[in-house]
Amino acid sequence: MSTPAPTLLELQRAVHRSLCAHDDATAAACIVNDGIDPAARLGIYRNTFASALTNALRLSYPAVKRLVGVECFEGVAHLFIEAEPPRSANLDDYGAGFAEFLTRFEAVAVLAYLPDVARLEWTVNRALHAPDVASLDLGRLYTLKEEEQARVCFTPHPSAGLLRLDHPADAIWRAVLARDDAALAAIDPATGPVRLLVHRAEEGIEVSRLDEAAWCFTEALFAGRPLHFVLEDALCADPQLLLAEHLAAERLVAFEFADG
Amino acid sequence: MLQSGRGSIPAKAGIGLRFPHHQAVAETRPAVAWLEAHTENYMGGGSSLRYLDTIRRDYPLSLHGVGLSLGSAEELDAAHVARVRRVVERFEPGLVSEHLSWSVVGGTYLADLLPLPMTEEALAAVCTHVDEVQAALNRRLLIENPSTYLRFRHSTIPEWEFLSRVAERTGCGILCDVNNIYVSACNHGWDAMAYLDALPAAAVGEIHLAGHAVRTLDDGRTLRIDDHGSRVAPAVWALYAEAVARFGPVPTLIEWDTDVPALEVLLDEAARAETFLRQVEHEHACADVA
Repeated sequence: MSTPAPTLLELQRAVHRSLCAHDDATAAACIVNDGIDPAARLGIYRNTFASALTNALRLSYPAVKRLVGVECFEGVAHLFIEAEPPRSANLDDYGAGFAEFLTRFEAVAVLAYLPDVARLEWTVNRALHAPDVASLDLGRLYTLKEEEQARVCFTPHPSAGLLRLDHPADAIWRAVLARDDAALAAIDPATGPVRLLVHRAEEGIEVSRLDEAAWCFTEALFAGRPLHFVLEDALCADPQLLLAEHLAAERLVAFEFADG
Repeated sequence: MLQSGRGSIPAKAGIGLRFPHHQAVAETRPAVAWLEAHTENYMGGGSSLRYLDTIRRDYPLSLHGVGLSLGSAEELDAAHVARVRRVVERFEPGLVSEHLSWSVVGGTYLADLLPLPMTEEALAAVCTHVDEVQAALNRRLLIENPSTYLRFRHSTIPEWEFLSRVAERTGCGILCDVNNIYVSACNHGWDAMAYLDALPAAAVGEIHLAGHAVRTLDDGRTLRIDDHGSRVAPAVWALYAEAVARFGPVPTLIEWDTDVPALEVLLDEAARAETFLRQVEHEHACADVA
């Protein structure tokens, strides 16, 4: 009782330690004790904190949850939440590090493909919540002079993502979400790697496989390399066709000109 | 000049719009006077925003935020204020509200509406942040009283006085959550009627109603938990009657966030709130005639 009252910042840091590190001592000493243990009162907030974030992870990682089961998922989620609490109040952005966290978690090490499924789910989640942007003015693009076209550097749609994964995570993800046990059983997790393109189309999220050459071409395009370099380096059979497909699917939303 | 608190939201009963009901609301356009959405759920792009665009054309909309952390000792997260501003600019809501609470310290978002110590220091922090957000949005905010499960020893100001002083100093309005008053009053032994009496009626721009849970602790004592997971409790309806008797007909929202039921259940709760509002409207009209 004789300790001086904490400042607002000291108190908030103490509550942070209580919620994230189960260190209740400082915060509990600041709480009126009228018969209910202050630690139990803090526990109510810790539960809400953990369940709100577990729910956010559950929404972003539905296939991981089904693969490991609810109990295991919640256990891992709680450890992740304490280790990497959110840095923003926009929870659509929460959980980026979950796949890497899974690689360090021994209890799920037997599912070697699990982190790849999580990487795919995070890319899908990013695509779902990416901002809307205006479409590319194709008329302007096609009326450029040849010399200008060569210097075009594209910006991909914010929902577009590329993944190179060691395991066939796309097939596993689809089978798990469809609850198709037969399809899941037929997948050999050792087949891989796979190269994926994820993107939000009008109808929803699209996840498609690309071969190595098409994937590399697309990666260079999305990285904003000048078009003539991308075309020169392309190893795929018909890069112009693939470029046209990306444009038609609105995976490229803007362009600027490289110097020179 | 800040816009008025009641904006274009009618003094009728609305419901909280949640993802499971997007399609049903957009397609069936149920008879409800207005809708309230969580600001943080519309910060990205894609189908959720398109649904809200569609729904906004048919209904008055209020935006209710949970992430600004107005009670933080540290500065507001400028990026989050900017996100809120973008959502407000896009949907042009009739009301914008936030909470008398905090959730961010040291750059970590603690994903809950955490209780403040009721001190002059916290009051100053909240007022500074409300001023900043009202300036950034160029409009008036409504601030909601929280449900709390603990009190700090060094608190010196009753919560109802704290909230009233925030409204007085910043010009913000009050979102009076009647369920939260009931929950906190039960948890802390406060007089819920005295809480209502202490609020400046003219500042109350909206009322929230929701269900709560009763949790029994290990020692057999109970705490009421604001989980928004059931119908409004009878005692909260009774307190709501007292609230509208004091504040007049005020836009009233039914909130439900845990185990969200069929849309019809929310509409049924809203219809019940509507009967209270029509009753008090009738009484006010009679009083005007007399």
